Amino acid sequence: MEAHSFSPESAAFRRVGVLGLAAVTTLVGTLEMHRLLSAHGTSVPEVVLVGLFALCFGWIALSFWTAIAGFLQLALGPRLPGLRYPTPDEEGQPLASRTSVVMPIHNEDPASVFANVQATYESVAATGHLDAFDFYVLSDSTRAEAWVAEELAWSELCRRVGGQGRIFYRRRTDNTGKKAGNLGDFCERWGRRYDFTVVLDADSLMDGRTLVKMARLMELNPRAGILQAPPLNVGRTTLFARLQQFAGRVYGPVVAAGAAAWQLGESNYWGHNAIIRTEAFINHCGLPVLPGKQPFGGHILSHDFVEAALMRRAGYTVWLVPELGGSYEQPPPNLLAYAQRDRRWCQGNLQHLSLVMAGGLHPFSRGHFLMGVMSYVASPLWLLFLVSGLVAALHDRFFLDAHALESPVLAFDAPGALRLFAVSMGMLFAPKVLGLMLALFKRGEAARMGGRVKLVLSVLVESVLASLLAPVMMLFQSHFVFGTLLGYRVNWSSQQREDADLPWSEAARRHAVHMAVGVGMLAVAALVSPALVAWLLPVAVGLLLAVPLTVLTARSSLGMWAARRGLFLLPEETEPPEVVERAQAITEEHAVEPVPDAIERVLGDAKMHALHLALLESQPGLAEHTSPAALESARRKLLGGGAEPLSAQEKVAALLDVGTLSEAREQRLTRALS
Amino acid sequence: MDSVTTLTACPSVPSTVWAVPRSRAALDTFFRGFGFTTEADLSALAAWVLDGYGAQGAQPPAAVALARARMETWFASVLGMEHAGPGLLARGRAAFVLCDGANRGARLLTRASAPEDFVKAARAAVPVPAPAQVSAVMPEQQLVLWPFGELLRRWWRGVSPDVSISR
Repeated sequence: MEAHSFSPESAAFRRVGVLGLAAVTTLVGTLEMHRLLSAHGTSVPEVVLVGLFALCFGWIALSFWTAIAGFLQLALGPRLPGLRYPTPDEEGQPLASRTSVVMPIHNEDPASVFANVQATYESVAATGHLDAFDFYVLSDSTRAEAWVAEELAWSELCRRVGGQGRIFYRRRTDNTGKKAGNLGDFCERWGRRYDFTVVLDADSLMDGRTLVKMARLMELNPRAGILQAPPLNVGRTTLFARLQQFAGRVYGPVVAAGAAAWQLGESNYWGHNAIIRTEAFINHCGLPVLPGKQPFGGHILSHDFVEAALMRRAGYTVWLVPELGGSYEQPPPNLLAYAQRDRRWCQGNLQHLSLVMAGGLHPFSRGHFLMGVMSYVASPLWLLFLVSGLVAALHDRFFLDAHALESPVLAFDAPGALRLFAVSMGMLFAPKVLGLMLALFKRGEAARMGGRVKLVLSVLVESVLASLLAPVMMLFQSHFVFGTLLGYRVNWSSQQREDADLPWSEAARRHAVHMAVGVGMLAVAALVSPALVAWLLPVAVGLLLAVPLTVLTARSSLGMWAARRGLFLLPEETEPPEVVERAQAITEEHAVEPVPDAIERVLGDAKMHALHLALLESQPGLAEHTSPAALESARRKLLGGGAEPLSAQEKVAALLDVGTLSEAREQRLTRALS
Repeated sequence: MDSVTTLTACPSVPSTVWAVPRSRAALDTFFRGFGFTTEADLSALAAWVLDGYGAQGAQPPAAVALARARMETWFASVLGMEHAGPGLLARGRAAFVLCDGANRGARLLTRASAPEDFVKAARAAVPVPAPAQVSAVMPEQQLVLWPFGELLRRWWRGVSPDVSISR
């Protein structure tokens, strides 16, 4: 099937509006920048500066016009053209399709994972459409303790909701292809049982009504391959996370609606909180392994963009549908966890560079790859822009005739520079202002966010803190981009999802270089002129304050303090949706017992032993990848009567072997009897 | 003497059962895996297994094999055809333990039929980690990363496209 457009009539108008205006804005801004810099003639650093400015300004211009489109879309009517929506009659009908809801996990906190699954399951049950859904937790966990805790949590969940036969727990011992491989394995084993598959992340939470709506939209739009429900960040308490949640709630809708408004059926897929047409996915979205070595070769790390591109190449549309609502996730608890996540995403997105020119892709799919790359490359570009600016200033200061600089004809056009700076800032902050306006004028919204005054105050404080944190993120991301290009290997360990305080020592270690850069930048600027110091101060202050900013924003106490004063409040906190409230209640009520030693737990607890063996025997082939040497060594230690502890690999090998576990338990029981 | 007399408290089985001590120990271990711990229950269950098959003199492996067969039959009747098949004993044992079946005593197994509430609870507790598989192949997609270069390469070398190292 050839890729062709399914877009509505207004698509061309929408796209020319956003992309055309972004191009014109970039051109005008770049010419103005060139005019400002060429007052003393144009040096080589200045040519570089103009080039970098064009790229960075173009990126801002695209975001700005996307936000304008989003504002208009939300203000004039939120429903996207191009999709067929159910009539009230159709909404009352039972679903004719079967949908699997899958949650791939990897060494996650089982309490929160299974609480979210339970809340989502109960929410679907409340819609009366439970028969149309099955749930799968797809575990790729490598730690023995995480594995046993998951089994226990799954069994408890099934007992609580009577979910055996509808909530499944699939364990994979060979985690080839990471999350994409995990999902691919599911598709190859059970995918054909379902018309659609909802992909969740380990911290995803979805309202049952949203899942039903998504399945119904897929039924009504047979050419739709993927529908993405933009997730809203909720549920965290640290100040950093609350800032993310607030920003996502106020500005996120404008940005998402804007992207949806012009991308329409050529939108992107974010890898979770989305529904996919399973058969099309199986037939057309098997990921290739890229030739060459990392960072550009090997398994595709950020699979979602590529899957969306392949789905679109196969002739199916991909939609971002902000009006769906009821889609939630959690933000990282602190700046360092956020950066850790960015490090993974950065390598994944840069890998897409090798796919931009791939044959047969829709131009918008290429655009998504480039936008993904740009979301990280923008940071080093800004950094290079700053450095080029400093070099150009030093060049003018030390290599141009001092008398020439004093000539009124050659004088730097400071008001013009301020004007361009103000325009850039205005475009950067436009999504915030537009989001704020929508929140202020939407009935009841401001009241649920602490009132109009608190809402405006929250936006102001958030903007200041985000501006202070931005230079640090710029350096982090620049480091990731350069590191990736130079062969930096990414460790795909699970993210920190807990709201734990960060120690000062760790923040100091991570930010030492950032502070040094801030000091160096100010020192160089001081060599040129005090005015340049003032220009660089907004960047330098963020870098100099990196350590206290990181440590203090990581604190739950400060986040809760702000919440008590009505700052950064979400409507989802003042009037929590049922599914969010339920997930929190389940996490508190049904704490999952910690598993300090998996072997000890399986051998010492009759229930766990019986459950684990039953699961092993129900999934033959699990032990295929066991190392014989590790199993032999584990058997020697376990059955030999000594007290030598097992290594992580030995634990996994023993936990995969029914014979070893049975013998060891029998030996233990016999010993207890005698 | 190679056998012992064991008093059972279960009215549905003979009050005394002869068993090879090592066989009895093996059976005790086996039934402890189901959560039974009291001497009364264990001796009743030993009697239930050995008497049922007239195998009081059985050696440990044979006695355990009999116990497994006995339990499989019991699980087949309690859990129904839905859960029949390989691994029935393991899944049945898990369901039994998760429902705290041992708290109801050995009589739960030795009586003619299990109580309805237990049957319902046990059926709901059988671990089903995944439904039956419907195998499919997810074909790896062909992506020619640089079509113009690929065209040249194929023209130059006369080879087929090569897009993935896994092929």
